[in-house]
Amino acid sequence: MIPEYGDAVRIHTKEQIYEGIMLPRPEIFDENYTIIKLENGYNIGVENNKITKIEVIKKYEKKKEIKHRIGHKEGLPTVPILSFGGTISSRVDYKTGGVYAGYTAEDFIAMLPELEDIANLKAEKVMSIMSEDMAPEDWQSMARRIARDLNDDEVSGVVVTQGTDTLHFSTAAMSFFLKHLNKPVVFTAAQRSIDRGSSDAFLNLLCAVHAASEFDGASVVTCMHGTSDDNYCILNRGTKVRKMHTSRRDAFRPINELPLAKVFENGNVEILNSNYSKKNDAKVIVDDKFEHKTALLYVYPGMNSEVLDYYLKKKYKGIVIAATGLGHVSTMSPKHSLVKKLKELIDDNVVIVIAPQTLYGRVHPYVYSPLRKLSIELNCIFAEDMLPETAYVKLGWVLGHTDEFTEVKEKMLTNYAGEISERSDENSFLY
Amino acid sequence: MEINYQELGFRCGLEVHQQLHGKKLFCSCPTLNSDKNPDVHVERKLRAVAGETGDVDIAAEFEMSKDRKFIYESSYEDTCLVEYDEEPPHELNKQAIGTAIKVALLINAEIVDEIQIMRKTVVDGSNVSGFQRTALVAMNGFVETSMGKVSIQTICLEEEAAQKIEEGNDFVRYKLDRLGIPLIELATSADIKSPEHAKEVAGQIGMILRSVEGVKRGLGTIRQDVNISVNEGTRTEIKGFQDLKSIPKVIEYEVKRQLEAIKQGKQLKKEVRKAEPDFTTSFLRPLPGAARLYPETDVLPVRIGTAHIEELRKELPKLLTEKIDECAKKYNITKEIAKDLVGNGDFEYLKQKFRNKDVWVIIRALTNTPKEIRQKLGIEDFEEVLDYYYDGKIAKEAIMDLLEKKSLGEKIKISDFEAVSEEQLEKEIKKIINEKPGLNASAYMGLVMAKYRGKVDGKKVMELVGRLIK
Repeated sequence: MIPEYGDAVRIHTKEQIYEGIMLPRPEIFDENYTIIKLENGYNIGVENNKITKIEVIKKYEKKKEIKHRIGHKEGLPTVPILSFGGTISSRVDYKTGGVYAGYTAEDFIAMLPELEDIANLKAEKVMSIMSEDMAPEDWQSMARRIARDLNDDEVSGVVVTQGTDTLHFSTAAMSFFLKHLNKPVVFTAAQRSIDRGSSDAFLNLLCAVHAASEFDGASVVTCMHGTSDDNYCILNRGTKVRKMHTSRRDAFRPINELPLAKVFENGNVEILNSNYSKKNDAKVIVDDKFEHKTALLYVYPGMNSEVLDYYLKKKYKGIVIAATGLGHVSTMSPKHSLVKKLKELIDDNVVIVIAPQTLYGRVHPYVYSPLRKLSIELNCIFAEDMLPETAYVKLGWVLGHTDEFTEVKEKMLTNYAGEISERSDENSFLY
Repeated sequence: MEINYQELGFRCGLEVHQQLHGKKLFCSCPTLNSDKNPDVHVERKLRAVAGETGDVDIAAEFEMSKDRKFIYESSYEDTCLVEYDEEPPHELNKQAIGTAIKVALLINAEIVDEIQIMRKTVVDGSNVSGFQRTALVAMNGFVETSMGKVSIQTICLEEEAAQKIEEGNDFVRYKLDRLGIPLIELATSADIKSPEHAKEVAGQIGMILRSVEGVKRGLGTIRQDVNISVNEGTRTEIKGFQDLKSIPKVIEYEVKRQLEAIKQGKQLKKEVRKAEPDFTTSFLRPLPGAARLYPETDVLPVRIGTAHIEELRKELPKLLTEKIDECAKKYNITKEIAKDLVGNGDFEYLKQKFRNKDVWVIIRALTNTPKEIRQKLGIEDFEEVLDYYYDGKIAKEAIMDLLEKKSLGEKIKISDFEAVSEEQLEKEIKKIINEKPGLNASAYMGLVMAKYRGKVDGKKVMELVGRLIK
């Protein structure tokens, strides 16, 4: 019998005999070792060239999956959970080494039985994708799928799950793509995988379903841990939020404004910032035209201006520059000034938008003379306190509708989804 | 009544956990017991999750049913985001692997080709992540005992759990300084013959562990768990022994408890029990099953090459028992005194520091000091006082006095203890003989010592008096 993964086997080497279950070896590792799960639960690697014989003791039998059945409870709101991949909706199948596919509402409820008492859930796995692989075309299908549920009268709000890395790009995109938004669209995710008891997914998901049921805003928001504690989540506006830490639970922070609300495990919603549109009966229209020839560029000391030639050659329509300080790029240095190249781009009708590399604070077109050079002479658009990522998504969206400069500029400076704060709130810094 | 353990089908195995020095197992935090006031405070909850085989573990479920809040506290100096489960683990600590392999070699175990790091589900909150990282390093070793070989099935390297400091109805408070300290875990098979034998095996394993450099010593740095069952009974695991001496008594009481339950027809459950100070045990939680272990995917497996093992084999220390025997023989002292000397590194250190000097002075300083005084002295105190002696600043007789003063924290005025030169001493003895002629040697000796006690060597005085009264 040829041993296969999952089989109970007896591995013979010159010195030892190991009994256990043969497991697959992750693809990226070399194949010189065979992994076996011993009876005591430990896995060890046995060097292949030491193995003299592998006996199969018992073939692997697939366990019957017991699926939890969802009941319908009268009087509870209906909340769809749409999954687009990421840590929160994946589970490793240790028998095959692959990722557990079809993550359904039943799985969420098996994981969190109390969800059934909050809402009648409908769950669907729309795509299974790592968030760093997501692209604007994925945002377009995402918007269409979400809109379908938003226009279902039964639905009180939609929960969306995806990977954390580019979550704030997705929320910005949904904020612009979902026109006449009528209900909360609550994005949640996990920084710790759900196969551990300490995963943040549990609180995040509970609070997200609560928020989709209870929050009275018609906004795209993130719902993630407010602190390192498992106490509450915060709802951050989709255009004003950013992943600010590689690994912490409370990585998603509001930038340049306060969170809209705190949501607690018991369903309490505490409003912190009431500056949002309320739920309404409008019909959502998907407005997802997007100019793919849009770029986001981070400037740095010593940057070679020839980098910009690529965008010129490839006929880009718009570039968001994450500029230093109040909105600077090198303008005076004979060697590194970007002015000449920017001029070429602008003469070729490429829109240049300046956003703050500092993330916090507002860019300003006039304080220093180099800024005036950019704003007045070169017609760069200074994007107020818009996050560079949000400005990138917005510019792509705006350019999807028009490439007429005055119109682009007017739209870029129009506040569509709270992406620009009119007032700079004193207590929002490093919230 | 004498119990016949053989007839009862007594089965008993040990797990010994030993803390290591250096950095933590998966981050660069120091392994110290902090007494600082906590400056970090985090509250978490844990849930039972399906393990590798898809089953939710019974022990995990049990803990979850309690629905408790876990409060974690620590100081910035001894914890980082890794302990708070806010940052993925760093690489497995290489020094700790080396120490574990040395221990494995000392007990003739087979080292695995590739170490796979596992997560062991723990839902009592003592691991912030909800699991303890653990890795099987070696298998199938043994120790020799008075009742034959006892096999040691597994040698693992794992993370120490957090220390519980308070428990309420709906919360448990933990301190995190201990979390992540490297632990070597040795598990014997159920070869242990009797309660006394269990104590011997625990002692033997402890001795082997302490023979290796990089192993922590002192209170709380080593712990034993005992697994026991008898015919018709069931396996219980006992934790929390006060000391080795209590092991036989606790085992005996547990066997009696199981026998009593069997007699009464009670259903015994597989459980973890805590050893109480009165040698009885109390229920802690159900015994966890094998579903607890699944792979730690954040850390790469570690390969142990044959060359590396051979290198470590060359660095293997002598066992403490060997060192004690050697020391006893070399200095012609009892094993008891030798054990005292070899037991900690002080003797070795002082011997190195004052090599080519009279080693007996060190031996006496270390072994003649009463326990109460010794406990309050650090190696640096011995070093300082011996320094005075070897520099000729004080007489041998002053060593004890000085050590005592040090232990009381008194300030030392070295001039009070200054040694008297031979010339000066001779002059003084002549003077005394002239003043009180005709006395015998021991009378003169008494007079001289009364004046110079602690500052002169008695042997020297005797010799001078003997010469001068002739």
